Amino acid sequence: MESRNDANRETKQEAADRKKRTYALPIGPQHPALLESENLEVFLDGEVIKDVIVNVGYLHRGIERALQNRNYIQCIYLAERVCGICSGVHTISYCQAVENLLDLEIPNRAKYIRTIIAELERIHSHLLWAGVLAHELGFDMLFQIVWRDRELVMEILEELTGNRVNYSMVTIGGVRRDISKAAIPRVFKVIGSLEERIRNHMKVFLNDKILLSRTSGTGTLKRSEAEELSLVGPLARASGVHYDIRRDHPYAAYGMIGWDTATERGGDVQSRVIVRMKELLQSVRIIRNCLMKLSTTGDKIRLEKNCLAVPENEAMSRAEAPRGELIYYARSNGSDRPERVKIRTPTYSNLLGLRPMLKGQFLSDLPMIVASLDPCFSCTDRVALIDTSTWERKSLTENEFRRHIENRRREK
Amino acid sequence: MMQALYFFFSILVFPGLLFIINISLLYTGIMRKLTARMQNRIGPPVWQPFLDVIKLFSKENINTENARPGFTFWPIVVLASTFVLALMIPVSGMAPLATSVDAIIIIYFFAFTSFSLFMAGLSSTNPFAVTGSIRGLVQIFAYEFPFVVAMLVPLFFVGTLSPAIVNAYQLQSGSWLFFNFPIAGVVFFICLLAKAEIPPFHVPDAHQEIVGGYHVEYTGTRYAFMEIARSVKIFVLISLGIALFFGGASNIFLFIAESLIMLFILTVISVVAARVRINQVLKLYWFLGFIVLIELIVRLLI
Repeated sequence: MESRNDANRETKQEAADRKKRTYALPIGPQHPALLESENLEVFLDGEVIKDVIVNVGYLHRGIERALQNRNYIQCIYLAERVCGICSGVHTISYCQAVENLLDLEIPNRAKYIRTIIAELERIHSHLLWAGVLAHELGFDMLFQIVWRDRELVMEILEELTGNRVNYSMVTIGGVRRDISKAAIPRVFKVIGSLEERIRNHMKVFLNDKILLSRTSGTGTLKRSEAEELSLVGPLARASGVHYDIRRDHPYAAYGMIGWDTATERGGDVQSRVIVRMKELLQSVRIIRNCLMKLSTTGDKIRLEKNCLAVPENEAMSRAEAPRGELIYYARSNGSDRPERVKIRTPTYSNLLGLRPMLKGQFLSDLPMIVASLDPCFSCTDRVALIDTSTWERKSLTENEFRRHIENRRREK
Repeated sequence: MMQALYFFFSILVFPGLLFIINISLLYTGIMRKLTARMQNRIGPPVWQPFLDVIKLFSKENINTENARPGFTFWPIVVLASTFVLALMIPVSGMAPLATSVDAIIIIYFFAFTSFSLFMAGLSSTNPFAVTGSIRGLVQIFAYEFPFVVAMLVPLFFVGTLSPAIVNAYQLQSGSWLFFNFPIAGVVFFICLLAKAEIPPFHVPDAHQEIVGGYHVEYTGTRYAFMEIARSVKIFVLISLGIALFFGGASNIFLFIAESLIMLFILTVISVVAARVRINQVLKLYWFLGFIVLIELIVRLLI
């Protein structure tokens, strides 16, 4: 931890040199390339990016604190709203954490249904991402077409869960709604046409000359860098890191069906496109397998469990969100409310990769590279330091932060 | 007396400013609508640019604190120089300000409109506008040479410096010069995309990267000037293309039909391509300039 920070930190001399040679361009907090508020201070030499400073902290919503004020059932719906895109996997991860607190083993049918929801969500998230990437490349045609096809999966999600975005499908001990026999053929049909369209888009992304000339070789992240910064998700897999929670620590039904992980070696934007496209095809495969297995399981989809008094315990749960590894840590104290819930979202880890990715690249590629990370900034913001006497926002260095933590501990 | 009246009519009404402003705004609207339909969207109505411009004229002008004196001046120059261009280029064979050396003036004024856009961006001192302006300037260096050489090919062939005469020549011979000089025609078309800043060459106003390029700080009337100038420029480029390469036009109906076909092709290209990077623009255009120069030399020797 210490050594990495030292390597990344520049000396005063270097900083002075940089200021002389470059000019600063503020990307954000409001900028068309960013879908959420966040600030990138970019130091440019002509069109070439010399350095980037990432400032987060514009979207702190205090969700972790709010989780402590609600009972376990109410928390499901709040956890769902941590992220607007990967809402399903947040509830899955949260419910798994609580189930671990309670030592629950959910029924197989619920596991399959959870997997189906998570994978449908992955398809919708990756298609959304592909559209955003195409848009950042100035390729609005592809953006519109990809998003048109995303509607298919949204409609399926609505049919299965009743909602397009916040599905409210998962609950502690299982799932809330069953997938009826009547709905299965329709899902198969849509999944089939989706697969065809995904292959079509894959062709465009892999063969279009202008797209290729923009994406291949840009925003390269070496395997060693990705490992050192402990990046997660498709971003790490595109750099050749074989790391997928679904395979390494299987949850839900991932250990019970056949599927493959997708990895690439290139580490550039093009590899990230390929990884996500392959994952889309794998998601289709997973959903098919799960739907076929549904007929072999029992009818039970939920274990009734009293969550009004959860015994004192602590538990962790991990899940592979569309953007990477999602961690929930929960601690109970015997009451109906969690004492602490800690969320680590994938973007929180992946943001570290932004600086090595952007250094030496063209400004024209910045939106594309940032988008290739698939950032979700509102999920990332965990803490905001505000001086209540002046209402000023502060940011701390590492040492200041340590001192702050120690002071807090002493106060307790 | 009648002649003077007709002269003013041709400058101010047809095929002068009134006609050109209206038709170019309409063309922009058609382009937007076509783009939307191709992208599976409904899109704005074709008269949307008129509404935009009317709205912009009713808005106040906001002066930023750091703006240089040229901030107000350059948008007017942009508009004025595109108007001069519009009056020099034959629309259906008529060019109100036609002289015998039009081509040279046209080349200069095309460069000058791009330059005044650059100055407009620079004088607003916004970092995004400055970056966009510099990109615009780099792009001028890229496309100007192949554009000029491609223009010279048909002019030298006919032996004139006036696009109106090339237009007449094409009508007389009944053949399109595009088929005589396909390379120059294609290069002219590709340069047209960059000059009009249509995708894939909308590098200077790439809104995902630098918000809007030159016109980030512009509001109200000044922005309306720049928008009109942009529309007129696309129209002017299309009519120049028709006069030099694509068959010429003897009456307004033929002209509109031809220009709509060109507009359609432009829209298709702009829809199916991603934006290129500025260094790729340079590479591409110097390559094109080289090719078209060879064609010009070969034609001159034969």
